Formats: sequence, C-alpha cells, structure tokens
Amino acid sequence: MNGVIDMRIEEHPILEKIEKGKLVSFELDGKVMSGYEDEPIAVALRAAGVMAHRHTSKYDKPRGIFCAIGRCTDCVMVVDGKPNVRTCVTPLKEGMKVQTQYGVSAKK
Amino acid sequence: MKRYELIVIGAGPAGLSAAIEAAKSGMEVIVFDENSRPGGQLFKQIHKFFGSKEHRAKVRGFKIGEELLEEAKKVKVKVVLSATVMGIFREKEITVMIDGEVNHFKADKIIVATGASENMVTFKGWTLPGVIGAGAAQTMMNLHGLRPGKKVLMLGSGNVGLVVSYQLKQAGCDVVAIIDAAPKIGGYGVHAAKVARLGVPFYLSNTIIEAQGEDCVNGVVIGEVDNKWNIIPGTEKHFDVDTICLAVGLSPMSQLLKAAGCDMEDSPKKGGLVPICDEYGETSIEGIFAAGDVSSIEEASSAMIEGRMAGAAAAKCAGYVEENSFIKRYHELEEALGQLRQGMFGPRSKGKDLKYTDEGIELSTSLLKNGYIDESEITNFPGVTINAKGIHPVIECTQNIPCNPCQDACINHCIKIGCNITSLPIVDENVKCTGCGMCVASCSGQAIFLVNETYEQGYATVTIPYEFLPLPKAGDMGIGLDRSGAEVCEVQVLEVRSAKPMDHTNLLTMKVPVDMAMKARFIKMKGAS
Amino acid sequence: MSKIIDRSIDIGEFIPAPDDDIIICRCEEITKGEIRKAVHDGMYTMTEIKRYLRAGMGLCQGQTCGKLIKGIIAKELGVASKEIDSGTSRSPVRPVEMKVYGNEVENGGDKYE
Repeated sequence: MNGVIDMRIEEHPILEKIEKGKLVSFELDGKVMSGYEDEPIAVALRAAGVMAHRHTSKYDKPRGIFCAIGRCTDCVMVVDGKPNVRTCVTPLKEGMKVQTQYGVSAKK
Repeated sequence: MKRYELIVIGAGPAGLSAAIEAAKSGMEVIVFDENSRPGGQLFKQIHKFFGSKEHRAKVRGFKIGEELLEEAKKVKVKVVLSATVMGIFREKEITVMIDGEVNHFKADKIIVATGASENMVTFKGWTLPGVIGAGAAQTMMNLHGLRPGKKVLMLGSGNVGLVVSYQLKQAGCDVVAIIDAAPKIGGYGVHAAKVARLGVPFYLSNTIIEAQGEDCVNGVVIGEVDNKWNIIPGTEKHFDVDTICLAVGLSPMSQLLKAAGCDMEDSPKKGGLVPICDEYGETSIEGIFAAGDVSSIEEASSAMIEGRMAGAAAAKCAGYVEENSFIKRYHELEEALGQLRQGMFGPRSKGKDLKYTDEGIELSTSLLKNGYIDESEITNFPGVTINAKGIHPVIECTQNIPCNPCQDACINHCIKIGCNITSLPIVDENVKCTGCGMCVASCSGQAIFLVNETYEQGYATVTIPYEFLPLPKAGDMGIGLDRSGAEVCEVQVLEVRSAKPMDHTNLLTMKVPVDMAMKARFIKMKGAS
Repeated sequence: MSKIIDRSIDIGEFIPAPDDDIIICRCEEITKGEIRKAVHDGMYTMTEIKRYLRAGMGLCQGQTCGKLIKGIIAKELGVASKEIDSGTSRSPVRPVEMKVYGNEVENGGDKYE
C-alpha cells in the first residue's frame, strides 16, 4: 500500500522493533484502509499518507495532527458516527468507520 | 468516599519518584495520570541521560521510565491510567474522570506533578497539517514507530529541538535545517555537535516567515531577523519540507494548583505560572506539594529528585518519617539536585553571556553559532590529546555541564573529572589506552572518539559512536565527514563493534588519511542518500 | 496579587499590522487582528477577551492559545506578559463531555483498591 512502508519505521537503531498489534482494516470516508490494532487512529492515517483530518467551520481550512497527545483537538474526526473524536489518543479497532470532519459533522 | 494517604497527580518522572519515596516510607499512595501510558515524557526519550550515576546518567530515558515503573510496582504504588483529574477541592477532595465517570477521592496529602505543555509560535500557515510540536514528532517516532514526515525543518535550538532533530535522523527522516530566532544555540553544545556532524545546518537569528501548501505543508520560507525581530529583506530562504517541528519551550501546566487556591507567581525564569513553594515543594496550602516541571521547567533528572523531595516531605508531614531522618534525606537530595543545577546551563547562569569555561578556557563561539567546534579551537580543551604513540581517547567536551559517566568508563582510569561533575574531563596521557571504546559508548553527548595516528604509514584510525541503521560492515567504503558535516576524505570501515553494555551505541572504527585524524568525525556510507 | 491594568490610560488607536490575519485561537479561528482590536474595544483581560471573542472557549478550552493571547494583550497594552492575569482556573481543568460531567458515581473509587 502506498506510503505504508515509507512512513513506518521497520527497525529502529535504539528501539529495535516497536511492538504493534495485529493488522486490521477500517474505513476512511468509505475507502478501505489498514492499520495496526490499538495504535492511535491518527498514526494509521499518517502512515497511509492522510494529512488533513478535518476542515474548520469558519474558514474551511484543513487541520491534522498537531500535538499528538490529545490536547490541541486539531486531529478530531467523526469515528463510528461520533464527531470530535481525538484520533491521536483513540485506539484503532477492526471495522472502525472514520470520516473527515467538516465543522462538527461529516457532511461537507 | 475512598480516602488515600497520598494522591499523586501525574505519573511522569516527578510523580512516580514522589510516589515511590512516599510508599517506601510506608504511605498508601495512588497515582492518577490522564494518559494511557505512564512515564510522562520519559518513554519518548531514547537518548542517554546526563548527570552522574545517581542521576542515572548513561541510561536511556525510556529505560529510566521502565525502572521507575518496576520500583513503583515493588513498593505497591497504585497507578491509574486514563484518569483525568478535573479539580482539587476543599479538604483535599479531588474529582477524577475515569471511563466516562466522575469519581471523588479524598487525600491526606496531594502531590501535583502534572508537568508542562509545549509553547506555541505563530507564523503564516502554522495551522497547516504538517506543522507539529516536537513532542508530537517524538510520540510518533518513539511510541508508534512512525516517521512524522520525510523532510523536516526544526524550529528551536534548545535541548528539545536538538535532541528531537537527532532522533528524526535516527528514524530515517531528513532534517533540512535547525533554525532559531536567538543569535546562539540554546541547548548543550554536544547535542548540537551530534547533529552538525550529520550535515544538518543551523540558521540562527532566523525565523519562519511562512509555511507553504494548500492541504498540507510542502515548503517553508525562513528569513533572518534584526535585533527588533523584523525580517531583513533579501535574506529569505526556501526549503522543500513536508513537516515543520516547533520546539520553542515549555510552560508549566499548573491550572489545578491555581484552581485549588495555591499562591501562584508568574515567573518567566521558571517557564510561566508556577505555585509558590518552600524548599520541600510544599505550596501555600498545607499538605499540597508540587514537583517537577509544574513547579519550574528543568530536566527529567531534576524532576525525579524534586519528586523524591516532595514524597519525603509528604511522608514526614504524615508522621511516617521522623524529623532527623527526613532532614538527612532532604540534604542528600538537595546535594544531588544542586549538582544538576550547576554549570553553564544551570538556573544561575541563565541569561548570562558566558565567555569562558570554569577552567578559564575560551568557550567555542563556533559551537554556539554553527553547532560545531572549529578545528583550531579543539586543542584548547583538556580532553583532547594528540598522541604520537598508539590509540588514545579524544574528548571533545567543551562546556561545563553536570555529567561524568566517562570517568567511570575507563578501567584504567585515564579519564578524570573529579568531585565537581561539571568540570571538563581530562585525559591522563600517562595511562595506556586499551582501545576498548567503553568511554566512547558511555558518553551521553557522543563527544568521545578514539584516535590512532600511528595505525599505518599515512593512515590513522578514528573510532566514532554510531547509532544508525543500516549498520555498516568491516570493509565498507564511505566518506568521512568533519564536525560540520562537510565531506573531507574517503574512508574505509575497519570494524564495527556492538556490545550489550554499550546499549545500542555501536563503535565504528574507520581508516582515514593521517592528516584527517583530527578532522573526520562521522561517516556517510557510499550508496546512502 | 494580579495587577489591575489602569483603564484610563490611552493606548492609542488600533493600527492594522500585516500579520493580523494569523489565526491565534485554532479551535474558534480567531485572528490576531481580532484580538488586538478587542483590546482597543476595551477588553484588557484574558477573561474579557474570552467572553468577547470566544477565544479560548473552543474544543481545547484554551490549552493551545492561552499564552499567545496573553502576549498579544500585553503587547497592545505596552506591558510585560506576566502583568496580565491568566484568567480564572476552575474545575474541570480539562475539557469534559457534559454526559460524563453529569455522571458522578458514588463509591466509584472502590474499584481502584
């Protein structure tokens, strides 16, 4: 899959192999993607080359991962129908339906 | 309502250390942390820490985190994760959000060790996807095995910016530059030197003018600033990047203490709004203590000691430790903390424009402006020996920072620092070096090299610390880089040694032309990009 | 004790600057210019700016923009950043969903023995 090998660190000079769960599939805006179970949704998205997680209400500007620890709320998306889910601290599960958030919903 | 003798808020280095100290004295301790993993920032730190043995020097941050967790488990400290403390109320009652429920707890004593958050700096395009905090880069790389991007610009040359830049290189990312609006590098010279020899350029007195891109970052424009922070026209420079990392300082997350009613002070020196505490860490509210970055931005090593101080003080106030033992323990910790606060980067030297080391040697301005010592300056320093006979260590440690693992590394005791751990290391030329390389591997700043100018006619060997993949093999050809990362000669890899005690710091010995012995300090493998 | 900024001092007219369109509060998309203008409208404190513009009232509850807003107010008033009060800190110090906030449990703490 495009980008998956590039962005993921296969072997790290200090950490060796970083433990990952099993490979699972999930959906992004209807498209089937894959990632590792229990890693943050944002990590799976970034590995697949997805940068914009949402578009803002007022100026319709793209936002993505900024702080990566669940504090800035820029990475929020609609997950399984629920908006404002912080993808950087939410573990990925098999079959999750992730949608790009526009304002506070999935509708453009 | 469940009552605990001690509630610690925050399971980072300060919080865990406080909990362990108090539990060892017999207190019943529970720790709440809002994250799903304990250890605070420790698990993101893959570099070896500084200080002395008792400060856990030479040990990588994440290992220290693992050790703390083990210790906490041994003394039966309860750690509850994904538990967000929402407020501290009257009579030390707290509310904690866990699993979608709000729980109440009561405490006899509370230690707040909630750490710090990253500062922000704004520029045109700073909200574009691709602009991330330095902490975010670390989280992605070191916790999740993900490269934050392919080409990165680092804003900030303090220790965080320098260390994360090195980690980005270790993760296989390209760091196009490190920039800082200040006129000199803010972090340790050795951290800067590690990155400079990889070829990463420093642009000081520079700021970001614009992050470019539509849906995400695809470029950045930087420019030089004058002493009024205005961009000097004509100095604009463009880089192709997909990631911009911000490492512009930390601010204490002290809202809980403020909400609880503790006396606060806005101290720019300490990083922002901090509680006013006594020497043991007790705030103006009796029984509420603060430790670690939340009370003053320093290093993790200091946070751990402050945590132990607060833990000991809480145990004493609760009657578990009697006055004399406490005073003794406090002085031990105070001494350890004092050692860490000495030197060029200590709180007392902050803001001072130092020109000389404690020993009276002129500090390298090249190191402060470019990230590398100029070759002409290198022999001024006592750790640098140029020996005609056989292999010998060359210690390019040129600033007074509290650190001494090199002293214990040599079995023949050829490296001396002394009781003041900020002293520059001295190499005793009368001691025969065996070339074992333990000193090279033990130096957390990767500032020690083994040089042998008499290897063979016309050739010398230089042994460097090497922490990258793929690991070269004996016989491989490469290009020798000097301290600034410039290509200076062809080299051949003679040997690559890896040993468990060296903890992933491999020793790479390369054969260089003899006139390059004091120049070549890194290697670029042939075939590498 | 926080200093109360003297409101009788004339801080001059609002002079537009080229970086006024930079977003400061990322959540509510409030720009630097809007904050600076608000100071000239008489909003001299963090609390007033927050209520006037909603800067700091978005999803992250001011965790990202707080220090930036402080600096902008300070600069506009011609004082050091530390002279500006950070605004009230009160529970909950982290954003909490309403359904969670209202979900208090009795003796829930026993689970964590």
